Amino acid sequence: MVQSPIGNKRVSESTLAIRVRNVSKSFPGVQALRKVSFVLETGEVHGLVGANGAGKSTFIRMLSGASTPDSGDIEVQGLPISFEDPRAQRSNGIAAIYQELTIIPEMSALSNVFLGEVPNRWFVVDRRGMEKRFRELAEWMSVKISPHAIANTLAIANQQMLEIMRAVHAEHDVIIMDEPTAPLGPFERSRLYELIGRLKENNVSIIFISHDLDEVLRLCDRVSVMRDGQLLETRPSSSWTKDTLVQTMLGDVEIVPGRKRERGKVKKLLRVQDLTLPGKVSGINFELAEGDVLGIAGLVGAGRTEVLRCVAGLELPAEGRMSIAGEDCAWPQSVRQAIDRGIALAPEDRKREGLVLSRSALSNLLLADIGSGSVGPVMSSAARRTKATALAHQIGFNADRLDTDALHLSGGNQQKLVIGKWLHRRPRILLLDEPTRGIDLGAKQEIFQTIRSLSDEGMGVVLVSSDLEEVVEHADRILVMARGKQIAMLDGTEASVERILNLIFAVESRPALAGVN
Amino acid sequence: MRASTPPVAAWRERLPTLIRVYGIILTLVLLVAVVGIGNPAFLSGQNIFNMLSQWAPAGIMAVGMTFVILTGGFDLSVASGYSLCAVVAAYVGQSYPPSIAFGAAIIVGLLFGLANGLLVAVVRINPFITTVGSGFIINGVALVMTKNAAFLVDNPDFGTLGAGRWHGIPYSGMLLIVFLLVFGFILARTVYGEAIYSVGGNYEASRLSGIRVRAVVASTYVVLGGCIGLAGSIVASQLSSAQANLDPGIIFDVLTIVVVGGTSLSGGTGAMWRTAVGLGIIATISNGFVLLDISPYYQSIIKGTIIVAALALDGGLTRLVRAK
Repeated sequence: MVQSPIGNKRVSESTLAIRVRNVSKSFPGVQALRKVSFVLETGEVHGLVGANGAGKSTFIRMLSGASTPDSGDIEVQGLPISFEDPRAQRSNGIAAIYQELTIIPEMSALSNVFLGEVPNRWFVVDRRGMEKRFRELAEWMSVKISPHAIANTLAIANQQMLEIMRAVHAEHDVIIMDEPTAPLGPFERSRLYELIGRLKENNVSIIFISHDLDEVLRLCDRVSVMRDGQLLETRPSSSWTKDTLVQTMLGDVEIVPGRKRERGKVKKLLRVQDLTLPGKVSGINFELAEGDVLGIAGLVGAGRTEVLRCVAGLELPAEGRMSIAGEDCAWPQSVRQAIDRGIALAPEDRKREGLVLSRSALSNLLLADIGSGSVGPVMSSAARRTKATALAHQIGFNADRLDTDALHLSGGNQQKLVIGKWLHRRPRILLLDEPTRGIDLGAKQEIFQTIRSLSDEGMGVVLVSSDLEEVVEHADRILVMARGKQIAMLDGTEASVERILNLIFAVESRPALAGVN
Repeated sequence: MRASTPPVAAWRERLPTLIRVYGIILTLVLLVAVVGIGNPAFLSGQNIFNMLSQWAPAGIMAVGMTFVILTGGFDLSVASGYSLCAVVAAYVGQSYPPSIAFGAAIIVGLLFGLANGLLVAVVRINPFITTVGSGFIINGVALVMTKNAAFLVDNPDFGTLGAGRWHGIPYSGMLLIVFLLVFGFILARTVYGEAIYSVGGNYEASRLSGIRVRAVVASTYVVLGGCIGLAGSIVASQLSSAQANLDPGIIFDVLTIVVVGGTSLSGGTGAMWRTAVGLGIIATISNGFVLLDISPYYQSIIKGTIIVAALALDGGLTRLVRAK
């Protein structure tokens, strides 16, 4: 057993890590929080769930000191606190790990962990001390990261670990984790769960935010549900079920189950044979027929995204053969070539690859067909609005918000735009990379409704998602990948999350061949 | 979705946003008022026409620079290109009719812009470095051509473009206004303009959406090159002469005009009307110094202060709106 680096923890008389009483906060036009009261006990893992826009982010921003409440008060370790800046908050012992990591990509792992409080002697950086402490922390957390690795060369999961190391190093009593598992695959998730357990043993209290309700119920001691800026209810996890959570979160939204269709012989849209991208992906074979939804399952880094990118003309040089509508053709050499063949990709990273955040929802919806609604080179704003409104209806986007900049939209609405921008071009094959990451249940349902209605109209859809349940629920067939290889092709009827995981872990748990740790 | 807010509250809430978006116009109005009250001659037609003529070269280049900056690009070779085009116009103008001289200058400008554009968009060299380098080259070419002597043109027709007037209105000023209007329209209302905003806002997303990103980026340098060619022609015509180091400081005027207007250096946000307002501000400040008889010693202090204050106001208001 490795000794805890957390050392002698402050023992306070209070068993409450945080007590929040009647906190309210409003932004222009929005009551973001209404009289929220909340208690975090010492050494507790407390789940916080709610749809997007329920007020979770505002609430934790307040706890972490990033914004100030309009009214109400907050006590930490029994002491009332004043809010000035995140630095003051650090001494209050609360660390927040946001979805958008605060890692500095160009700096080393070491520098990132000690960011903001570099150990020094007379202002000279104490490198040896830093490295020693780093190894201590890494060992205790069972993390294998070289202190000298540059942060942006690390996987997302490891970057996140650096942030947690930072919090553990500073001996924070409370760590807030905002959707920490969203970018992680199953294996990395279980590593994080273990770590959370270990932090808990050391009396660190954790607020855990996630859209994955199974995970919340499994991991947390108590769960609070937020909706419309209110904290509706807190109960021990044992007295929640997934259904009661969903009901409380959404009020009265109906969940549409996926449905598999029985179909006769239909036209083949796409056939991929022996797709290989040297060093990343090899031996991928699949077919896509009209109206098909093909799921691709695998861990993060298994090569799922690369498969989509090859088909969309973004990865060169891809090897293997491709045929579209029965005709052999070379791999598309550019995005435009792929689009001409009716192939469209909705990429995983909405903000970096999907949207122009500084432009309106309307501009974004027409981005992929920028010349539409114009007479010659001159745009007609009326025609553009008509087209955008029609698209908005199709994807369940509120047409009143067409003039809002994409930056100010929720993740769910942003995702709708990323998919919606293609529909005007009527692609025959739509490639979706993680279309539901980090978005709430309501928006997820709407997105799957859109996918269903598109496939009913004959579009072929390839769906990559880390949420295996989602893949099993909605895909007609599932291509299972591990370490860049295709390991199975399951029929929708014979697939289950368990089966997929077994297949994946049978491969992933094998030792790697050459020196990869 | 939340219910829409009541209209009264909405107006109140929108005020900070309105100030943020249109505040720069307020700055211009204030400046014009101060200078106009200090010396009513400022607002006379004569003075305004003179300003238009004087600022036509920098203003026309600012129009092209707006395109480049909106795509997230930058061009530091403006001053060298400007001198070279003026030299070309004067050199050709010595033995050919003015129209051919100006045409040649504009073609040189376009080719120079194309070279910059290809280096930035296709070879993908950082625009900063590319244009610093190409600026040196062009400056050297101009020096070799002229051996650092001024080319004089004694054909009186050569002066018409820069110094000619119609009912007191300078042709060069008319060209400036036409450029602002035409390129403003292209930016705001055409598919090409929309593509410029998209590429500047997010290059990768635009590429993945099938926009010809490289062509869009490269084309903006060509547009700027054309503007430089015309600006060089105008100044050569105004002076009836040109030399290799005509006005190295003009690059700062051009950049300041675009940026003071509120077009973001990171690309994707801005507008041509902002460049027009920026031009108004810079021209008013400069002209105001003369009309209000401010000692040259204080001019640059005041000019710098106003520029920084205008941008700080802009940033400060933005933060105020976001913070709450």
